[in-house]
This record gives sequence, C-alpha cells and structure tokens, in this order.
Amino acid sequence: MAVEVKDLKDTKKAKGEARCPDAPTTQEIIAADKVCAPKWVRSESYQFLGDEDIPTDRYIEPSYAKEELDRLWTRTWQFACREENIPQIGDYHVYDIGPYSFIITRVGANDVRAYYNACLHRGTKLRASGTEGRASEFQCSFHGWSWNIDGSNKAIVCPWDFPHVDRKKMALPEARVEILGGFVFINMDPDAPSLADYLGREFKGHVDAWKLEDRYVYLHVAKKLPCNWKLAIEAFLEAYHVIKTHPQVAVSNGDANSQYDVYGEHVDRFISTLGVLSPHLYGKHTEEDILNQFTLGDSGALGDSKRTLSQGNTARQVMADMFRGMFEKATNTDLSAVSDSELLDCFSYTIFPNFFIFPGISLPMAYRFRPDPRDHRKCLYEVMFLRPVPKDGKRPEPAEPIYLGDNQSFKEAAGMDPGFGAILDQDTDNLFLQQEGLEASAKRGLTLGNYQEVRVRHFEKAVDKYLAMGPKKPDRDKLPSR
Amino acid sequence: MQFARVLRISEVPPGDKKVVEVNGASVLICNSNDRLYAVSNICSHAQERLECGRMSRGWIACPVHGARFDLATGRAMNPPAKEPIATYEVRVVEDWIEVAVAGQRVSAS
Repeated sequence: MAVEVKDLKDTKKAKGEARCPDAPTTQEIIAADKVCAPKWVRSESYQFLGDEDIPTDRYIEPSYAKEELDRLWTRTWQFACREENIPQIGDYHVYDIGPYSFIITRVGANDVRAYYNACLHRGTKLRASGTEGRASEFQCSFHGWSWNIDGSNKAIVCPWDFPHVDRKKMALPEARVEILGGFVFINMDPDAPSLADYLGREFKGHVDAWKLEDRYVYLHVAKKLPCNWKLAIEAFLEAYHVIKTHPQVAVSNGDANSQYDVYGEHVDRFISTLGVLSPHLYGKHTEEDILNQFTLGDSGALGDSKRTLSQGNTARQVMADMFRGMFEKATNTDLSAVSDSELLDCFSYTIFPNFFIFPGISLPMAYRFRPDPRDHRKCLYEVMFLRPVPKDGKRPEPAEPIYLGDNQSFKEAAGMDPGFGAILDQDTDNLFLQQEGLEASAKRGLTLGNYQEVRVRHFEKAVDKYLAMGPKKPDRDKLPSR
Repeated sequence: MQFARVLRISEVPPGDKKVVEVNGASVLICNSNDRLYAVSNICSHAQERLECGRMSRGWIACPVHGARFDLATGRAMNPPAKEPIATYEVRVVEDWIEVAVAGQRVSAS
C-alpha cells in the first residue's frame, strides 16, 4: 500500500507505536483460528529502540570485520552442530568460526566438549575443517602427538625429548558447551553468561515448548553469499521486503501486518501469518487465489493433494486442516495438539549473533550465517530443514550438507522445494547490489522503519555492544582447568 | 570377474560393517544409505584400519586422523588423505554377500 507524504505528517502516535492501518493485527488473525495457539505465540514484546541511522562502515570496512573477530565472535554463544551429528561416544563434528576451529566431541551421554582444533605441539589441526567422524583418538598427522576423546593427553612420540612437558597440563583446551533443543552451542569466553542467561527467561520458555530435540535435519543446503554476513542476516529479519522481493508470496502472506518482538539483548522474532492476503493487495485477490498461491518450505511432505475451498471457509483454515492431516501422514507424527498458527505461520527467531530458528511446521528451518575471515564481503549461508523424528522413535541420520556453487540456484539443491528455493534466490540476489551500493553511496547510514525493521536495529545494537568492548582472544592460560 | 562368498546378508544389517579377508586383502563390507559397499579396510593416508571408524551417509571416517572416504568411489573426501581407497564389486546371491577381489581364498575375521 503506497503511503502518501501527508500520512506520515498525520502520524500523532509516539515513535514505534504506528502499525499497518486498516488491517487486522497478527494477534487478531491468530485469535480467529479454529485450533488455538499456545501462549508463546499469543504474546507481544515490541520495544522502540531508536530511529537514528545505522552507520554503514560496519558492512564495508575490512578493519571492522577484523574487530568483530576479536571482540564479538570470541564472546558469543554460537550454534556449532546438532546432537544427531554426534550420536555416539567418540563422535565428533568440526565447527569453524573465522580462524577458530573446534572439535565438538561426545565424551558421554550428557557430556559434549568443544576442543580447540590444534595440536599442542606445533599447532597442526587435529581434524580437517568441515568434517565428522568417530575418534579412537585425536592423533596429529604431523608428529603423532595424540589425545584421548576426553581431551587428556594420550601420547607424546619420543617423550625422552620432552622432559620439560607435563602431560597432565597438556589436555586439549576447551570452549564452553551448552545444549538447547538438540542444538549444541559453544562459547570461547570463560566469562560469558550461561546460555540460559544469554537468551533470557522468556525466550527459554518459548524454546522449551518447541521440543526441537525431537526433530532432525532432513535437508541441509549451504551457499557462499557475495556480501558482508550482517547484510545477509538482515535480509531475513523483516517481512517489509516481501511485496517487492517476493510478489508471488504476498498473495498469501500478512506481510505489512506481521508482528515484531525483541527479548533482551540477544533474541528477537517476527510472526508473519500465512494463508491471508497481504494488506498491500486488499481488494485485488479472492480467498481462492490465496489458497492456490500458498508456498511451503516442506511441500515434499504434502504430496500432490488437491486444494479446494468449500463455501464459507477461509483459505487459511483450509490450509491448516489440510496440513495437519498431510504432515501427520508424511512424517508419521501426531499433530492433533498443534495449533493452526504453528502449522501455517512463519515464526522467525534470531539468536545473536548468527542463528535463526523457525519453529513452525510448514517452515521448519534453522539458518546460520558465518563471515568469511579472508573477505569481509563474503559469507556462508546455511539453511537446515527440520522434521519431527518419526513416532517409532528411530532417528534418521542428519542430512549431509549440499554446497551450492556461487551461480547456482537454491532450486538446484536436491530435496529443496522449488517454490521455496525461488524465494531464497530472490532474498539473496539483492545482496550483492546492496553490498556494492553501500560502498558506492554518499549516504553513510541505513534508515530503518521503527516497527517492521526493529529486528535490524536490535541486531546492530548487539553488534555495537560487543564492538565497544576490548579485544579478547582465547588464551589457554586463562581457561579454567577441568 | 570372480566373486567370493564372504558373509550372510543378515550379518551386515543397515548401518553396520564387517571386515573380511579376501586373498590377503582386508576388505570392509558396509551397509550404508540402503546399499552394500565393499572397500579396502586400510586408510590411504597412514595405513590405519578403518573398521572402527564412523560410517554415515555413504562415507567412512578414519578413526585416527579423520580422513573420510566415499564408499561408492573410494574418493578421499578431506585431508589428511588425498589418495582414494580401493573399492570392490559387491553383489547378493541367495542371501550371501559376494565380493570380487583378485584370488579366491576367503576367511571372515
């Protein structure tokens, strides 16, 4: 809906209080559903965080990226792998962030550790980056110094030549590990708050309701993007772009009346309703159009079921009813207690700095973004689709990542829904132009909407907080000993 | 190509692997990704045995230094290995797994 200049001047509300006019709110749409939504859906937590421009040096200066590595990435909780990546004792998964690398290792049923991935002799990585396996030991391929899976030193070749080395002090240094909903998080900072304190109590209540530990990754796609990692993240923080970037989606997406919430310093979310018409398009489409335009992240679960609209029914209700039955069948799970909203809507949560969880059923995803430490204009984007573990309890193995080439479409990834792949192409195709535009611009700040872009501001406020701190590099001598 | 009977199909359920000796070669029979593979049990990097390594989604990882190999082609997927491991033709005849390795003397270990 085009906004006239006079509308802006007429606004008498306090900053951040304005909402999409003449459209139901997200909460009003959800309240009309047949199967009621849980409390974590039926709540709001918006906060006005200011309206100043966001300086753009953070996206275009290589020195800024260097400072992020020393200040931000060494202090924040990061998703490293899923528990199903390391199901058995001795299983490990190598997680890299910037120049740092960790061997995430299962040492016991409830004991997962993150070893700095470097030999304590002359520094060689003990495992190649991007790999998984089951270790009998971690033996360096150079001179053969080796470690047990509990991190204690196993052997030094020719110990007679190292009388000055106390093997008891030669355990592999560790980053901190915490597990949430089947996601293994690490933090390099021994002084950082616990993951629970980092996320805050309210969000923790949301996560616990999702039971994400009962899901598994059935599709994992990765692609390098030609932009700073923060621009890539910000492309997914609002539904404001839907009408222009994804016009095919707007027909069945409450975009301009999506809901935005912030929780403490590190978590924010939006709820974007699906199966309803965009306020931009009121009067231009029928309920039948909405039904036919609905795009799914996991349409593979739906088969080729026919979509029909009976009299008096809404597209949203038809889709909810249909999804419930089809997803139950396709994934062998019981969804009778799951609300219409959870089945249909897009719930996008961000855990600072680089992790998204979408706990809904139709868009059951996680995103991760990591900077390329050699080039501040490049980053790695990963999308993981999560399905419920089948009712028989047998957990399928997690999907092997599919790495797309720079010029490949997300539609080319085997198992990706073509409609959803097209959406990701549209999202990421803007980014190179934005990176170059910021470098070309005479304006040195981003201007943000007070409501629809509050997550961008919230994210950058957290970046500012960590960048204001001094550098903090991992130091074995300052780590607590086990 | 001469095939040798090495194991009953029931001896290698999905997700499992077994070592057999065929004409002096240590061969790993693997049931992964809903199919059977036969590969050399010896890592091409430092000649460690692969049999205790993790097998998942069509690959096996060396338990000592972490090199991974594609079970279908033997290709080394990551450092420290660069060279592939040998792969062998494998088939099922009358509930028996048969593998083709030069020579015929067979013993399960």
